[in-house]
Amino acid sequence: MDFLAEGFRRALALLLSGDAEVFGIALLTLKIAVVATVVACGIGLPLGYFLATRRFWGRRAALTAVNTALAFPTVVVGLLVYGLLSRRGPLGGLGWLYTWQAIVIGDVLLALPIAAALSAAAVQGVDPRVRRTAETLGAGRWLTAWTVAREARFALVAVITVAFGQVVAEIGAAMMLGGNIRGSTRTLTTAVALSTSQGDFGLAVALGLLLIAIALIVNVTLQVLQGKGGG
Amino acid sequence: MVELRGVRHRYDGRLVLNLDHFAVPAGALVAVVGHNGSGKSTLLRLLALLEAPTEGDVLWDGAPVPRRPPTTLRRRVTLVEQRPILFRGTVLENIGYGLRVRGIQGSQAYKRTAEVADQLGLLSLLDRRRHELSDGEVQRVAVARALAVRPDVLLLDEPASSADRAATGALYRALAAERAARPLAICIASHQLEDAYRWADDIRALAEGRLSPVTPENLFRVELPSGSGETKHARVGSIEIVVTTDRTGPVVLAVPPTDIFVSREPLPSSARNVLSGRVTRVATHRPGGAGGVAVTADVGVELVAIVTAEAARELALAPDAPVVFSFKASAVRVF
Repeated sequence: MDFLAEGFRRALALLLSGDAEVFGIALLTLKIAVVATVVACGIGLPLGYFLATRRFWGRRAALTAVNTALAFPTVVVGLLVYGLLSRRGPLGGLGWLYTWQAIVIGDVLLALPIAAALSAAAVQGVDPRVRRTAETLGAGRWLTAWTVAREARFALVAVITVAFGQVVAEIGAAMMLGGNIRGSTRTLTTAVALSTSQGDFGLAVALGLLLIAIALIVNVTLQVLQGKGGG
Repeated sequence: MVELRGVRHRYDGRLVLNLDHFAVPAGALVAVVGHNGSGKSTLLRLLALLEAPTEGDVLWDGAPVPRRPPTTLRRRVTLVEQRPILFRGTVLENIGYGLRVRGIQGSQAYKRTAEVADQLGLLSLLDRRRHELSDGEVQRVAVARALAVRPDVLLLDEPASSADRAATGALYRALAAERAARPLAICIASHQLEDAYRWADDIRALAEGRLSPVTPENLFRVELPSGSGETKHARVGSIEIVVTTDRTGPVVLAVPPTDIFVSREPLPSSARNVLSGRVTRVATHRPGGAGGVAVTADVGVELVAIVTAEAARELALAPDAPVVFSFKASAVRVF
């Protein structure tokens, strides 16, 4: 067990010394997670609202597809995006393979089904009278959606939290699409995997603790933004 | 103003509304009466332009309303549901909701909010939130919220269902004040005939999704003779109904079906109205799932009495059986 204690000691020393490389990795991880969460929720929440409130042909199939996408393995998504971004792929011209943008695309594809499926469930959980009442009081489409979202805000903040949790902890797509390049696409998860495989347990623990700290800070921020609730 | 023409509305293939024509003219005060499940709420949702009918047309000022009505048109009609829901926030914020979505804010919005809150006796509740209100208060806030936006047509689904008598009085006074100030058509759905007759000019009965050509149960338009006595004899068809009232002139009499004693022979009692006749119909299942057996008898006019299933069995009530309906003069409601 000594190596564990040693690992924690090393981690503490690294964190307290403000190691530039470690914090660089942490900042990149945060940037990727925030951008991917914003994009995934920006598309996924309206999509979830649409799926929950509109009646159209194929709606059930669309909901099934979104729910199935929840279970997509990250390496499969990584493979798909790799195919798209590789030099011979349709998006190869962008030159994004092994960049942070490639990781964002993979993370968005992983978080989008979460945002859409869970927000559809959240909106379906809102009393249907809320929507009817907003409409009968003269709210247009966007204001009605906003009113319904306000009623479901606890559930919707939970959706954002889960989506963020998915992207910040993701490793498969980050490894395949980012390539774990030092100083460029190395994220906390890929760095933890690398350090562990190299036997640098202290660094791995330090990075793991940073990952947990980021998750904690983002969750607390979301809780605060959510407000104190009330009727 | 708003009308339905040739409307057939279905939920999951089941026909819930079947109306050749139904209109709420400008400034009218219409009541739709019917048991629970008769289609009243569906009718109001169609009139509120919240749903498009499966078949047929909704017309506004004679012009067909598109299946997705423009917001400007929807804003002319407001519905208060039977069990209204308040949004997150205070009573003040709720009443001001419709004004905010119309871009009316600041002192102008506050003035209007305070005005309707005052009309409905809600001024002391403006800071409360929905979980701090009784059902009756929620209903009044919902009516205030609907009135605040000054709709041309106000639709109320069972507006007095959770309110006590005083609150109901305040509600109807607020509606009367609003109608005195500007043209406002109101359509009220109610299962309480008393409510409907007290407040509406025009009463339509809805049963199984259709407008019923038959007058609702035991209602008679009569002319009460002048005189100072407290009991009056009103002629209804070939019979006379004794009522306790100081009213004179044209009124509506309502004999509550549950206040009629049913027997096979006249019984000595205090009832001033003892009418003999024959049973014409016995309905064991009343529409809307209400309990009891509805016994219709021709006693000179057609009257409906509600008895328990046990009483119906003991008295062997069946079509053509002789029957006596008795009820007190004070049981007859006068509107």
